[in-house]
Amino acid sequence: MIDEASRLEADALAVIAQAGDHAELERIRTLYLGRRDGLVSGLLRGLGRMSPEDRPAAGAAANALKVAVAEALEGRRAELEATTALARPAVDLTLPPRRRWRGSVHPVSRAIADIWAIFRSLGFTRARGPEVDTEWYNFVALNTPLDHPATDEQDTLYLASGMLLRSHTSPVQIRTMEEYAPPIRIIAPGMVYRRDTYDATHTPAFAQIEGLVVDELATFVDLKATLAEFVRRFWGPAAQVRFRPSFFPFTEPSAEVDVKRVIERSDGRREEKGWIEIMGAGMVDPAVLENVGYDPERYTGWAFGMGPARVAMLRHGVADIRAFYENDMRFLAQFA
Amino acid sequence: MKVSYRWVRDLAPGLELAPVEAAELLAARGAPVEEAIDLGAGLGDLVVGQVLEVGPHPGADRLLLCQVLGPEGPVPVVCGAPNVQVGMHYPFAAVGAAIPGGFRIERRKIRGVYSEGMLCSERELGLGEDHDGVMALSGEFTPGEPLATALGLDDTRLDIEVTPNRGDLLSHIGIARELHPSGESSLRLPPFPGDAGLDGISTARAADSCESAGVRVTIEDPELCPRYMAAVVRGVAVGPSPRWLADRLRAAGARPICNVVDATNYVMLEIGQPLHAFDLSALGGGSIAAGPARHGESIATLDGEARSLREGMLVIRDSERPVAVGGVIGGIDTQVSASTVDILLECALFGPAGVRATRKGLGISTDASHRFERGVDPTITETAIRRAAALVVVVAGGEIDGAVVDVNPSPWLAPTVALRPSRVGRVLGVGFVPAEISELLAPLGYKVEPSDADQLDVSVPGHRSYDTLREVDLIEEVARIRGYDTFPDELSRFLPGTVPDHPLFLLEDAIRAALVAEGLSEAQTPALASPEHGDVPLRNPMTREESFLRRDRLSGLLGHLERNLARGVRDVRLFELGAAFRAAAREGAAPRESARVAVAMTGRTAPLHWSGMAEAFDLFDAARVLELIGREAYDGARLLPAPIGSAPPAYLPDRCLALVAGEGDPVGWGGEIDPVALELPRWAGVVVGAEVELPESPSVRPAVAVREVPAHPASERDFAFVFPADVPAGAVIDAARQAAGELLEALEVFDLYEGSDLPEGTRSLAIRLRFRSLDRTLTEREVRDACRRVLVRVKEETGVEPRG
Repeated sequence: MIDEASRLEADALAVIAQAGDHAELERIRTLYLGRRDGLVSGLLRGLGRMSPEDRPAAGAAANALKVAVAEALEGRRAELEATTALARPAVDLTLPPRRRWRGSVHPVSRAIADIWAIFRSLGFTRARGPEVDTEWYNFVALNTPLDHPATDEQDTLYLASGMLLRSHTSPVQIRTMEEYAPPIRIIAPGMVYRRDTYDATHTPAFAQIEGLVVDELATFVDLKATLAEFVRRFWGPAAQVRFRPSFFPFTEPSAEVDVKRVIERSDGRREEKGWIEIMGAGMVDPAVLENVGYDPERYTGWAFGMGPARVAMLRHGVADIRAFYENDMRFLAQFA
Repeated sequence: MKVSYRWVRDLAPGLELAPVEAAELLAARGAPVEEAIDLGAGLGDLVVGQVLEVGPHPGADRLLLCQVLGPEGPVPVVCGAPNVQVGMHYPFAAVGAAIPGGFRIERRKIRGVYSEGMLCSERELGLGEDHDGVMALSGEFTPGEPLATALGLDDTRLDIEVTPNRGDLLSHIGIARELHPSGESSLRLPPFPGDAGLDGISTARAADSCESAGVRVTIEDPELCPRYMAAVVRGVAVGPSPRWLADRLRAAGARPICNVVDATNYVMLEIGQPLHAFDLSALGGGSIAAGPARHGESIATLDGEARSLREGMLVIRDSERPVAVGGVIGGIDTQVSASTVDILLECALFGPAGVRATRKGLGISTDASHRFERGVDPTITETAIRRAAALVVVVAGGEIDGAVVDVNPSPWLAPTVALRPSRVGRVLGVGFVPAEISELLAPLGYKVEPSDADQLDVSVPGHRSYDTLREVDLIEEVARIRGYDTFPDELSRFLPGTVPDHPLFLLEDAIRAALVAEGLSEAQTPALASPEHGDVPLRNPMTREESFLRRDRLSGLLGHLERNLARGVRDVRLFELGAAFRAAAREGAAPRESARVAVAMTGRTAPLHWSGMAEAFDLFDAARVLELIGREAYDGARLLPAPIGSAPPAYLPDRCLALVAGEGDPVGWGGEIDPVALELPRWAGVVVGAEVELPESPSVRPAVAVREVPAHPASERDFAFVFPADVPAGAVIDAARQAAGELLEALEVFDLYEGSDLPEGTRSLAIRLRFRSLDRTLTEREVRDACRRVLVRVKEETGVEPRG
């Protein structure tokens, strides 16, 4: 019986090794392991006729045979599989992928989105207002009397009705404060308009981002620290910030914010750029708070404004702002 | 404001800052220097040369041969200038010296004689226009001394950006006050060379009208003119200014005109008070009055313009007519000329609002109006007229007749502002003790007196009496003088705000992301357009191309698309988000402003690929994008063929879809653009576009309520319907969908066929229906019943039957 098992094993392994395809393997499997007529199954059935003392050894041999045949079948199957794979037609994997068009966000929108992401993490939400507005919202409520040198009609685009195209996003400050109670913590991105003719740094319509904080604890130190934090997050921790006194009718004290970008190269060298003016800022003038019915003794505020197109020019090395509005696909697609 | 830094230092003894340091301090004080010009630039190699001998040139009639004493003894110099005189001093460039412009002097043989240097003209040195002869230097000089020092050109001109609130910085004294460490108390006005002083001259004062030297001065309107001073100088000789005066004006960027006018300009640049000189003989009736212009008056001004005056404009008049526009510009009839002998000097205070209204009304701006609009120090009027009169006498001769007249209806009192140290700390975020505040403010001329435990009474000096009249103005001064960079950089705690993120931004973000994922590039177009593209005109446009507000966004995008094609870019896929404006419903109201998104596409739907070429964009790509935007912006938005006559003119009317949300007009359109309206290259293909108006305050999309993922198998059935061209596919699809009932999981149109084997004028539409139940496997009978319902309903509603 045991001899019979080793003979069957030798035979089986020999035919399995010779098998040329899956169908032949399947025939061999049926021949040996088939439940009804399989040779190995027959051997196992023969165990019943053996004496009880011979049965354990013979049973073990028969089972070992069954396992060996099954393993050999599996091994040969895997071999055949691998051989068949080689038989598939060759593909040139160096051919280019099947690509789709890649869309792109406008660089100015991208600058706005990145600026917004930082201010969002500093607790700000976004507010908006109309682009056509009144003198009240654009000037008077912002403590800018119409006969003040800062209000030059030459700089503002008017409609026949006497309404105007907002010359800054600051009217959103007034509209937001009229609608909501303090604390206020907003930024307001949007388009603004000036009577500027086109040149490398001016367009009559351009984006601006306004920021406004009104709270019982808003201070000049707070303004400085928040904007410095923004600058370091936007231009990297090595960037330097400088605040210079300036004048805006709606803030006092007022400041210009300059940035010095420091580029740290991969070889460890640092390149310091020059100071560049990027923002106007200041403490909200108490007259502005009074104009919206806030108590300036109780609340203080600070505000800032910056031009995302200018930020985008610095960031991407764009020398002429008009490139942003030509909308040449070859320019825009670079931002994909 | 252009200042000569040397002049500033003359007014502020002890001011030791180098020009670069001064520029840095000014920037830190809020008056950045745009440009610092070294006035001696290019003159570094030039010296003063003295001509010792002049003789004829042996080889040329028109040339002279001079011996010139320079830094290294006398040398021969050939010179062509007729004005060279023995003993005089001239700018001299020795061999090896470079003159402005970079030209270097060499030893050179001129008509057989060596010349070892060059005597220079004004023009050669960039110091003036004169090129008729070499530039004769008047005064005491040492031969060989540097020319820049000899001419006072060892100076730097600072071009300072002055903000509109700081009228006090529009003078040399104002800049000196800001720069000198001890400020106000260290400033002085040095006497002029040869100045005998005006000590013997008295001042005649009155509240509304006063006469001296035969001239009566009257203020008619103290609002327009709070104070008017005048002085008569008789016997002046009008001519060019002496060199020191002309040089000084030039160093400060001003152009010398004549001695009398230069004297008034000098005082204006020095202390900030504009003055005007009238030819007394041209003034009629011996009177001068400041007040509003009367109906129908006009004046010919110094710039040669005849100007009609509006009633109420600020004018100075003699007994007959306006002779000057007060604080703005003088009249041409009464101006100082070469024949002028007697002058009336005017030194007045004009109110900022009146000057501004007047000069805006006339459409001009002058050095004088610029200063009056920003506020002239009311305490310097008398100093200014006495200084100007003294200077006129010094440079033009003559003598002062009678008293200086001062009409001053309500003498100025220094305003006092209450300043709480606690409030300074509250606004700035850093605590201040009263002594610190005092120390910071005093150098600028503020007088600070403690009046209470938490109150300082601050007396405001005249030069800051326009911009520091409130507590917060002084708080700014405290911060400014202390220096913004001295404040710490510490983030503080904050409360979240009450304002929610505006939902329209969220919608725009979502649409932008979706369109970028579609392979579109975001464009930006200014909302200003030509009249063809707008309904709302601007009152003061700059150009015709930007004279209206854009009525839609698609037209702008199509313009960009055209330009891209014109540049040979064949594949263009653009979108943009922005505002569009429609005319107001009634006159005077705000135009209707709406947020829009627009799309324009042409070319292939995918880049070229070796496996096969993608198809070109067509109407159904526009439909996809329109549907996509509709999904983001509106609940239940759907596409419909544009009803006849409703398609916007940009589209082909039979290839236009409307996006409909709820009742009312469509919220958007999309389709194939009418090529007739576009300028396209011949090779261009179909252009498609879409535009959607976004809701003003979009509702936040509800969270997705998840449907169970099916566990039972589906049954699919395909149908082909052959139907006439005039039956819309949508009718067949809708009927099939409705008839299939709730067991229908999906309906897909997978083929549309129009071929010669079909009856003339028909087409075949292939539809796949997928049926499924969530709770059981459908029986063959259930599916068959559903299919029968579909066929019956489609036949009933459209008359269409399935294909054989």
